[in-house]
Amino acid sequence: MIHFLAFLSYIAAFGLWIFLLVRGARGRWAPLPSGFTAFAAILHGAALVQFWRAYGELPLVGPGAALSSLAFVGGVALVAVLPMREVARVALTLLPFVILLQGVALALGIRPSPFPLDFQGAGFVLHVALAFLGYQGLALAFAAGVLYLIQHHELKGKRFGRFFQFIPPLAILERVGRIGLWLGFVSLTLALAVGWAWTVQNRGSLEMTDPKVLWAVMSWFVFLGILGARGGKGRSEYRSALAAVVGFAVVIGMYLALRVTEGGSGLFL
Amino acid sequence: MPLAVVGVSHETAPVDIREKVAFGSAEAGDALLALRKEAGVDEAVILSTCNRTEVYLFPVREERPIRAVERLLAGKAGPTPRPLGSYVFQEWGEGAVRHLFHVSAGLDSMVTGEAEIQGQVKEAYQRASTLPVFPPMAGPVLNRLFQMALAVGGRIRSETPIGEGTASVASVAVELARKIFGSLKGKRVLILGAGIAGELIAEALTREGVEGVVVATRTYDRAVNLARKHRGHAIPFEKIHEALPSVDIVLSSTAAPYPVLTRSIVRDSFQEPRRHPLLIIDIAVPRDVDPAVGDEPEVFLYNVDDLRKIVDEHVRTREGALPEAQRIIAAHSEEFRSWYASLEVVPVIQDMRKQAKAFREAELERLFRGLAHVSPEDRERIEAFARRLQNKLLHDPTVRLREGMAAGGGPGLVDAARLLYGLDEVQAADERRGRDERAALDEEAPKKGSKPDPGVP
Repeated sequence: MIHFLAFLSYIAAFGLWIFLLVRGARGRWAPLPSGFTAFAAILHGAALVQFWRAYGELPLVGPGAALSSLAFVGGVALVAVLPMREVARVALTLLPFVILLQGVALALGIRPSPFPLDFQGAGFVLHVALAFLGYQGLALAFAAGVLYLIQHHELKGKRFGRFFQFIPPLAILERVGRIGLWLGFVSLTLALAVGWAWTVQNRGSLEMTDPKVLWAVMSWFVFLGILGARGGKGRSEYRSALAAVVGFAVVIGMYLALRVTEGGSGLFL
Repeated sequence: MPLAVVGVSHETAPVDIREKVAFGSAEAGDALLALRKEAGVDEAVILSTCNRTEVYLFPVREERPIRAVERLLAGKAGPTPRPLGSYVFQEWGEGAVRHLFHVSAGLDSMVTGEAEIQGQVKEAYQRASTLPVFPPMAGPVLNRLFQMALAVGGRIRSETPIGEGTASVASVAVELARKIFGSLKGKRVLILGAGIAGELIAEALTREGVEGVVVATRTYDRAVNLARKHRGHAIPFEKIHEALPSVDIVLSSTAAPYPVLTRSIVRDSFQEPRRHPLLIIDIAVPRDVDPAVGDEPEVFLYNVDDLRKIVDEHVRTREGALPEAQRIIAAHSEEFRSWYASLEVVPVIQDMRKQAKAFREAELERLFRGLAHVSPEDRERIEAFARRLQNKLLHDPTVRLREGMAAGGGPGLVDAARLLYGLDEVQAADERRGRDERAALDEEAPKKGSKPDPGVP
């Protein structure tokens, strides 16, 4: 029930961000979207705590529970940027992703996985948390990248309407994208390292054909590609933003493809 | 409501008249004191800006204060092409209230929604409040009026887009630069030409923190002078392609009849594809920058028409906010009217309480004369009971009187209350007592040996 309320709160917060975009960011309504976003994230946190208390395990295993936790990391990322007035507007593009994740999680059912795990412990929790942080870092870069492309389009096209007024400056979006990418890349790298060490220690070897391993490794290479696109000589900020958007789409596409073809284990997100 | 505003504004007088009647801060203080001394004005505030000189007066029950202000303005203006009276406007009562609210919100300004006026209204009010005179020139009514005007101005600015965007080309150029670079601190600007509009934009950019200024004009000496002004350095005009890769903003306003920046110059100047954006503002007519330059990646090119487009967009947004702003002003004007109306009933309520207290004290005295055996504690209890009873009996009529006045009850309601409670007798008794006391003091004075005024025969 609380999960569903959090889902509705995220939708309401997104609606308020849209309202602010249309109406102009001023007046007594201005703090409302930020407030609702924070409220939704707190509610979501409470729902996950309730899950943990009810089932005695962290909501990291099983598609529904894991997707909800991944959405929660996005909610927390948003709460972290809310005090920065202009940066907070990335909520406009990040919230739909959080809503989508939570919606899918609700549709799949947020409950523990019926399959017992081979091994758990601190290493497992660290691995999953770092991986989620990695994916949300990429999501943040994607959100900033989308806004960058829109603002760039408005500035080039000399359109000075609501989008131009509402979307943060290009330099700020570039910085947010860069932070998201590096944070995500470092987190995912650590997640892979921890996951590898933990699996080898407990199982003796790492099965590379496991869809979640495959996805994580492919995602890591996508990260590498995006960072390469940013760092190369003469690469414009525009191309960097484009690379983040395309890279994120590729990661999501890979996930969907793997879920369809290889998702039989039930443990894969 | 005996409130009035008299003055000249950009809507009633040209600038050559307005500048003659403009008051400096010290002058305005002196003028207020003169109005108090010569016309017996209780409360007054002078608001003087480049667009207006207005005097707010309270109470105005006769023409005398108005004539005094007109004389004051005429004396300040000196000879004028037409009699000064033909430039002067007056607003009375609620019209004066609405006028000040419009002024404070920037709705009466030349550029609708400009924010500077709010500070000027505050300054005028504070000047009147802090004059070393008693009672203060901004007394209870003007104090409340100006406080409310400042609140109305703030509310309209925060709740409507009336102050959104900027309405000058220079500010729009800064806004564009901010939308690209965020903070302008440390950014480098190349100024081409020495046009006045270009210089205004350069000044606005420098105020925002632009640091490295490079100037190139056809005449090197002019470039050096302009560079010195902006603490930058000059380069020969032929070397602008060398400066291009290292700057973030190019501001062009030369008088050249042909483009001085072409796509090939810009492209050749970059050794490699540009990573960071380059903002080019071309305000020259004919244009200095070939429009094809805008097709280069990471180059954002705007000409004077583009800047005007943003200005027009802002003006449209501001005008769209007018109905909402008017609604807020109407609501607050009504609030002020209600507050003022409730103020008129204060003397009636004071008389009612005075009368009730007199009745209570007389009845208690009569009661205690026949109850000599009552202990002091019981006596206090009976007195407290009488006070509570008096307060309870007066509470509802007091509240209803205030509400009735706020709802537009007018003088009829005050008269009715005075008649029902017989308050005119209380007032007459007060006046009699006052006269008696003054007479007694006059009789006492010679007895105490005070010397008679030598000027009095």
